[in-house]
Amino acid sequence: MFERFLPLDPLEANCTDNPMLNCDVLLLHTVYVNMFLSFCFVSGTAAMNERQYRDMPTHGIGRWRHLLLKQPKKKKDRNQQKELVSATDTAYGTLNVTVSGYDMTVVEHYSQYIHNFCNRLNIKVADSYALPTKSTEVLLMQEQGNKTYVDAVLKTHQRVIQLSSLNASLCPVFMDVILKNQPEGVQLSVQEHTEADYQARFKARPELEGLVAQINQ
Amino acid sequence: MAAPCRKMASRSYSQLLCCFSRTAVGSGACRRFSVTPIDRATPRASTAADRATSPWSLMAAVCLQRLPVITADCSPIEQRFKQMLQQMELEKSMLSDHELRLMEDAERMSRRQADDYDSDEDLGDQEIMMTQDLEDTWEQRLKNFQPAPRVRADVDEDLTSVQRCLTDSLVLLAEQQVGAEKLWLLPQAAWQEGETLRRTAERALDSMTAAGVRATFLGNAPCGVYKYKLPKAARTESSVGVKVFFFKAILVDGTPGSAPTAPLLWLKKSELQKYLKPAYMMNVGRFILNL
Repeated sequence: MFERFLPLDPLEANCTDNPMLNCDVLLLHTVYVNMFLSFCFVSGTAAMNERQYRDMPTHGIGRWRHLLLKQPKKKKDRNQQKELVSATDTAYGTLNVTVSGYDMTVVEHYSQYIHNFCNRLNIKVADSYALPTKSTEVLLMQEQGNKTYVDAVLKTHQRVIQLSSLNASLCPVFMDVILKNQPEGVQLSVQEHTEADYQARFKARPELEGLVAQINQ
Repeated sequence: MAAPCRKMASRSYSQLLCCFSRTAVGSGACRRFSVTPIDRATPRASTAADRATSPWSLMAAVCLQRLPVITADCSPIEQRFKQMLQQMELEKSMLSDHELRLMEDAERMSRRQADDYDSDEDLGDQEIMMTQDLEDTWEQRLKNFQPAPRVRADVDEDLTSVQRCLTDSLVLLAEQQVGAEKLWLLPQAAWQEGETLRRTAERALDSMTAAGVRATFLGNAPCGVYKYKLPKAARTESSVGVKVFFFKAILVDGTPGSAPTAPLLWLKKSELQKYLKPAYMMNVGRFILNL
């Protein structure tokens, strides 16, 4: 629509070797542009203020992502096992620091304390999870009769902090501080992380196991 | 000091399974503690050629600690804060099952005692045990329970007893002959050829204390070092001084079977200053944590 008012690129049309003439052409061009602008303002401001998007010739000029080769999408690896670091001469491998006890607040706070302590000492914490709570029923014999009755239900909570590697020189300091800050009623255990530990976290699937047994028979 | 460092690096890494538990007053004064080493490869013997001779002789010492058995008492501010938090928690909390049952029982009693009581209203069996009776039996059982005393003044005064000051961690000191005089030091022994420094520290512990004392070393790396030069009279070409490497260990079993060979003391960090020499104390105080 606007092309009617613009001359067909006067520079190309009147291209001569004479630079003087070209200057004149430029001047002519600017005069035309001025005329066009004044015409626009006379007619109305809507034309000038309209947003130029898909009609604009330069639309999508910076696009580059369509030129890359498509990468295959990675499947969700949330349940994948983290790699087991093996022990070297100067550092331990993947260690599991298990905190367990009856009082959940104390157990959780202590495990949080250990986690923060590891962060402060720049020990890499690979994973931090909770194992399922185990309930223990305390049954007592009745004084008068032979029947036992449920006296109390004790729940054992467990929290695990998995360290990817622990420097052997840092180990005594780490263990000393953790032991001295151990609260009452909380058991602490530091063990190597094994494949069996990881598999124990999953629920057993009896139907799958039955089918597998049938196939193997 | 090429020799001992190489020894420590070449010793292949022993994996430890440590299990620490802290329960209310157990059999002894110490926590239950178990360590199971999985791998223990034999260390490679270094050749005599690559050991450089040095005028410093080496010793290894053990810093044996008995961890606190019970929690420390709260300071007055801590007590007040604890009370305030407990009060806030109580006010914000919901009623428990036991309290709900108590309220139901009280309501039922008041309904029965009302004039227009209809016995058909009382649906369900009457409980054999009322909830209030349950609470009374529990109170009775609590009164019958006698906990052990937290602080025993006479045991606290006895510096040689391992059961003193259950709220603090204690360090073992032994009186040893160093040169011409007897000094109070952390148990130490001279390093011998062909053994690691940690093994030297274990040997020091075994020689100083009785056979029944078991300890777990926290690692193969030392936690501190103290070097001192021999007095000018004793100095020779080949021995200028001594370097002592300290290893941390935790006491597992506190009951000594037989009498110790040397006089031993169990001291808190604040009491160490009276027994140790100032320069030694400054060095040792850096790695003994006052927690």
